[in-house]
Amino acid sequence: MQTSTAAFPKKFDLLTPIISNEQVAQDHYLLRCACPEIARGALPGQFIHVLISQAGVLQAASLLLRRPFTIFTVEGEQISMLYQIIGEGTEVLSHLKPGDPLRVLGPLGNTFHIPLDLHPAIIVGGGAGIASLMLLAIALRKSGVRTLGLVASMNRARLLSVAELKRIGVEMHIATDDGSVGHHGFVTEILTQILEQPHAHELSQPMIYACGPDGMLRAVTKIAQDYRIPTQLAMENRMGCAMGVCLGCVCKVRMPDGGFEYQRVCTEGPVFNAAEIVW
Amino acid sequence: MNSNPTSLEVHVAGIRMKNPVMTASGTFGYGSEYADFIDLNQLGAIVVKGITSVPWSGNPMPRITETPPGMLNAIGLQNVGVDGFIEKKLPYLRNFDVPVIVNICGERLEEYLEVTEKLDAADGVAAIELNISCPNLHCGGMSFGVDPELTYELVNSVREKTALPLLVKLSPNVTDITVIARAAEAAGTDGLSVINTLLGMAIDIKTRRPMLANITGGLSGPAIKPVALRLVWQVYNAVNIPIIGMGGIMTGDDAIAFFIAGASAVAVGTANFVNPRAPLDVIDGVHTYLKQYKLDSIKELVGSLQT
Repeated sequence: MQTSTAAFPKKFDLLTPIISNEQVAQDHYLLRCACPEIARGALPGQFIHVLISQAGVLQAASLLLRRPFTIFTVEGEQISMLYQIIGEGTEVLSHLKPGDPLRVLGPLGNTFHIPLDLHPAIIVGGGAGIASLMLLAIALRKSGVRTLGLVASMNRARLLSVAELKRIGVEMHIATDDGSVGHHGFVTEILTQILEQPHAHELSQPMIYACGPDGMLRAVTKIAQDYRIPTQLAMENRMGCAMGVCLGCVCKVRMPDGGFEYQRVCTEGPVFNAAEIVW
Repeated sequence: MNSNPTSLEVHVAGIRMKNPVMTASGTFGYGSEYADFIDLNQLGAIVVKGITSVPWSGNPMPRITETPPGMLNAIGLQNVGVDGFIEKKLPYLRNFDVPVIVNICGERLEEYLEVTEKLDAADGVAAIELNISCPNLHCGGMSFGVDPELTYELVNSVREKTALPLLVKLSPNVTDITVIARAAEAAGTDGLSVINTLLGMAIDIKTRRPMLANITGGLSGPAIKPVALRLVWQVYNAVNIPIIGMGGIMTGDDAIAFFIAGASAVAVGTANFVNPRAPLDVIDGVHTYLKQYKLDSIKELVGSLQT
């Protein structure tokens, strides 16, 4: 994704107490902390790099590296992150209590491109991937952009953010693997149904924004290509520094000359044009 | 404040530094990445990401994984190439009053020589660090650094191409590091960087697949500090040229242990990924230690291990 020429906000490394850290769905937590400097500049799609240790100190710990989390919401001086327990780091994180210190580096990465004549925006979130699209959805709705929200989860107990998205006026479509709520099957099947009826859904200048498991992103990319809909993906990867120096978080990006180059999810991303990603 | 504050200034391997703390190659990019957090003028030296004769695209993903307490990487020296470095990265670094040490690597001797000649002619390079120890290349890199004859030939050939101070970065993945260290010394290097990463691997037991696409990678971070200290101490007792100690340094106290083992300066590596101000915190910690023990300079510590 070509980043715009506008400068990205200055980065800060803040030691801040956790305000709240609560379970919001099966295996999923919402954590809030005060990070005024980060909240001020944060753009949709940007992320924070969080040091998870009981003391929040910069000493060696068994969890050495920070973990990247998308900025889920910004409310005044507070930012929040919506995360899934997927390993040791997020397990430890889920046990932290209000008042426990957290080290938060950010805001990091690029942002989504929102074209002027966009109509409608189609956001596709798989699992915790919807977290990367919430700030975008809020920005779109604030600008009065009609927004379709396609959300996928394994089941009802793991469904995220549906009420919040509905409240800001996103037209919601839900898919679950077990059919416990919404469409029984893949969210990409809903996407195809919508794209099959461009007039019924008033798809004059649509753009797809997606974040989720690799399999879903590949499927979304394929469908978007079939229907010629421009698509942006918020990519995720294991990260070392998140500052652009360790080159650990790269993804393979197609170049105009037909070759490819490894680009950093933390710096050139996390938002990429779907058509440029080599899977 | 002491009216005559302890000076941290050192002169190591022909490189004059405000303090003995550098950034380790590959952990600090080309300097500009940390501009929001660090005034580069405060660093002892900047060692930039390894440079090759032409740009390298690097290894497939996944490239990194955490292993307690440290990390494995198999980046494969993705870099902009020597011409790209001189045109696009070096001008920014010339804005600062800090020695720039350029780490160089190659698959063949001729590549090292080509990069050396270009850097020698460029303005703003304080020293060259020869990487003969990258564990993630299938040829070149570490294959030089595990063989004393190849090490001698490479260092000697590079030595003839430049009068710039030369450091040779040694691999820990050898039976006896002192043999390689002596070969590099005999070939005319001004100093030794000890150590590069330790070859390791990690496995996802659910899928029985390696955690890295390259299968093996280089281990760094606090996990390797005891190994690095031992190797610095062994090399210190085997050569008469200065050592830059590195391997898992997170704090000033870690750095002090390297000085005691025989290092004349240190480099902060993986810590930069966790703490963007890590080198400055290490400098502060070193300063505090010197004051606490009423020492006038780092020199009094170097190789002072009591056995």
